[in-house]
Amino acid sequence: MNARLLLCAVVLVGAVGIVAGCAGPQGQAFMDNIGGVEGLMKNIKQATGTIQEPEEIEMGEGITETLLGARPMVNDPEVQRYVNFVGAWVAAQSDRPNLPWHFAVNDSDHVNAFAAPGGYIIVTKGMMNLLQNEAELAGVLGHEIGHVVRKHHLNAIRKGAYMNLLGAGAAGATAGSRGGELVNALVGPTKELYSRGLDKDDEFDADRIGVVLATRAGYDPWGLAAALQTLAKIKADDKYMALLFKTHPNPSDRLDKLGTAMGTTFDRFNDRPQNADRFQRAVAKIRMVAAN
Amino acid sequence: MTRTRTWVAACMLLGCSAAWAQETGYTLRETEVKAKPFLDAQSVGKLPEKAQVTILGRQGGWSQIRADKVEGWIRLLSMRLGSADPAKKPTAVATTIGFGRRGTGAGPTVTTGVRGFSEEDLKEAKPNPEEVKKMETFTIPPAGAAQFAAAGGLTAQTVSYVDADGKPVKVKK
Repeated sequence: MNARLLLCAVVLVGAVGIVAGCAGPQGQAFMDNIGGVEGLMKNIKQATGTIQEPEEIEMGEGITETLLGARPMVNDPEVQRYVNFVGAWVAAQSDRPNLPWHFAVNDSDHVNAFAAPGGYIIVTKGMMNLLQNEAELAGVLGHEIGHVVRKHHLNAIRKGAYMNLLGAGAAGATAGSRGGELVNALVGPTKELYSRGLDKDDEFDADRIGVVLATRAGYDPWGLAAALQTLAKIKADDKYMALLFKTHPNPSDRLDKLGTAMGTTFDRFNDRPQNADRFQRAVAKIRMVAAN
Repeated sequence: MTRTRTWVAACMLLGCSAAWAQETGYTLRETEVKAKPFLDAQSVGKLPEKAQVTILGRQGGWSQIRADKVEGWIRLLSMRLGSADPAKKPTAVATTIGFGRRGTGAGPTVTTGVRGFSEEDLKEAKPNPEEVKKMETFTIPPAGAAQFAAAGGLTAQTVSYVDADGKPVKVKK
């Protein structure tokens, strides 16, 4: 089997031709030959190849449509621009600087942050309200960028449980129809994955990457640790934290692990900026909304 | 509304670090207190496990603290925020970010109008392609990000990834 077609199959899941380069006579012939969605799913489960970047971005966009469907962006262009500046600068220090990185603050009082494949990152307004300065934000965004760089969500979706959900979504798609099929196919896996969370080790991994990326970006390296300190003091049953606490290791464990990983290695950057003033100016408007 | 805005503005001007200055914490283990935020700085005392401290500030991996008999710097991760006494109710998000502070000051009273992102909200979500298109309009090109960094006094550094034990990991970059 042609590896390229297999990759297309992994992403498209029965929706022919959403991604440019997967369409065309060859792709159509492939679709005709494998015996519909059921055959396709079988092939996907046997897939050993990796999903390529354009398809990954397409998946990320589909996942983000559902995440922003749960809560839209907060109506404050200034804070949206600000998180994109910080995020773009931190992401530029990663192994995938050329991804089209997109950042957004959603209009949710709950404290959380999300990453989707291909470079889509969402931080809740509630999280922005808990953070104290730009170095903390850089650490939080660095953690999410770490998930994308390491393809944690992509790999989780490729696992069996999510593939079944992907198949269920795809089965509802009409063969040959255009647009929306990929998104529909991803709705089930997205809800399941973002409710259940990643493996704990992926979270600890993302914490370490977040610290390194924020440090490379020139920030005080301890921003993520300081943010986790704030999360660690909040009571375990706080409703604003419910989803974050369910889907992540507890903040105190994360701090212990970070302490071991950071040691004194990062101390030479202890005097680097936290940029509290610039952060406070950027979040002033959403803070006022919270206070009202 | 106006009053709240004035309060928030005043708080920002004067440094809402008023709240930060009142932050308390406790030591996780016996901890050395240093005169300055450096490993080789002079020791000015020792705190036992679960010593209650008032936090005055932070520099990098160090917290500036005041305790009963000593003032100085301890490692950030040798402490946690809040109280060592489990009987004392831990903090709620609502009080931390100021919900319900207006009016009576009776604590977190906001139970309606919460804009959630709970598991239930996620379950009921319908894809919103327009929002993603909007999100994509805010994307910053690399040159813009570099300019923003320079304006914030940020200089790119070379640092290796670290593994769980803190050992450097080969960087692809």
